[in-house]
Amino acid sequence: MREEESMMAGYCTLDHDGCVTCSDAGIPVRVVSVESYDALCEDTAGNRAEIAVELVAPVQTGEVLLTHGGVAIGRVAVREEDS
Amino acid sequence: MKYVDEFRNGDIARAVAAGIASITDPDRHYKIMEVCGGHTHTIYRHGIKDLLPDQVELVHGPGCPVCVLPMGRVDEGIEIAEHPEVIFTCFGDMMRVPGSKGNLLEVKAEGADIRMVYSPLDALRIARENPDREVVFYAIGFETTAPSTALTLQRAKKEGLENFSVFCNHVTIVPPVRALLDSPDLRLDAFIGPGHVSTVVGCRPYEFMSEDYGKPCVVAGFEPLDLLQSILMLMHQLDEGRCEVENQYSRIVPWEGNLQALKSMAEVFELRPYFEWRGLGFIAQSALKLSPAYADFDAELRYSTPGVRVADPKACQCGEVLKGVLKPPECKVFGTACTPERPLGALMVSSEGACAAYYNFGRKSFEKVEIGSK
Repeated sequence: MREEESMMAGYCTLDHDGCVTCSDAGIPVRVVSVESYDALCEDTAGNRAEIAVELVAPVQTGEVLLTHGGVAIGRVAVREEDS
Repeated sequence: MKYVDEFRNGDIARAVAAGIASITDPDRHYKIMEVCGGHTHTIYRHGIKDLLPDQVELVHGPGCPVCVLPMGRVDEGIEIAEHPEVIFTCFGDMMRVPGSKGNLLEVKAEGADIRMVYSPLDALRIARENPDREVVFYAIGFETTAPSTALTLQRAKKEGLENFSVFCNHVTIVPPVRALLDSPDLRLDAFIGPGHVSTVVGCRPYEFMSEDYGKPCVVAGFEPLDLLQSILMLMHQLDEGRCEVENQYSRIVPWEGNLQALKSMAEVFELRPYFEWRGLGFIAQSALKLSPAYADFDAELRYSTPGVRVADPKACQCGEVLKGVLKPPECKVFGTACTPERPLGALMVSSEGACAAYYNFGRKSFEKVEIGSK
């Protein structure tokens, strides 16, 4: 995931998420692979983590998700010319 | 660097700021509340305040879940953590929030098994790996965090895990905003709505602000240009005498929210009749507890927490800052007895807390005012 893309959804990454208790520290990540209700995702710094994706299912490889506390809670609308 | 150009470009920022200045009535004072702690952080980090006309005042709202947690709930978490059979799990910032007799970090140093987790799902994993121990997760946060707790509990129930429970301190965003609007202390003109909370709840819950109170609200993103554009949108509404809910952050926030997440929350949680907020007192239906279907996972029932009420330290003025009555540096202990290294109040603990944000990024402008006033 490109570094500049984090600006679409805030400044946080998987290893530096501002205040994790804060309800608004969402982290944008790109889906690398999907297995059932979990997806391997990558943030702008190249960190990877397994993210639960039930709440935004179905997801596809390459989509940008907004995650919080290891769970995807939304999608980031990436424009066609940016993808 | 196309996104840098789009969201952090200085020329665009100055142009938007000029737009705000051009519609600012020099004889009027505008009070705009940013509800969310993440916005407070952006405002100080990027010096947004310095770009605005003097007539436009930004007031910090109650949108930092650590900051609004009353001391009694911290003490009760510590009591649960002290049970020898318990592995107590919580988010990082929660470890340093002061209770009346210390914080979780100090209790951990004394031997309690307290572990920092990044996700409630990590707590669930610890429960699976330690079947002979009781694992408790300290759940805290607004509607952004509540879905992850709900999902975790749904998975725990499906797996039939019996050694996992949740001490639920989730709160909801609308009731405290309504309480602030009802408060005689504060006259607000408009609201910057929280960004990522709205990913879950959508924009509809804020319609009461315009319909019942005649206050505009713009749901905003977290980049400096997002904030400036949102303020411009609010100023246009005030200038034109409109009051509506608008969505500046439509690239993330669907108007209807995340229905799957809301459904999951509805299954796992129910509203508490009332809940105490630091600085705001008891607010009806402002927090979540586990629903009867999930009572077996409720740490409050499992450990019979008494629901004690503990007053804040006398010197601490977090309550007034949370209500927007005081600015952080106007608190008597700001930067002296209370610093991010040794926080007295919760607003200095969390990096999204107004005092910590002001301490880290906003002191320069405060010092300028102080020097100028001497």
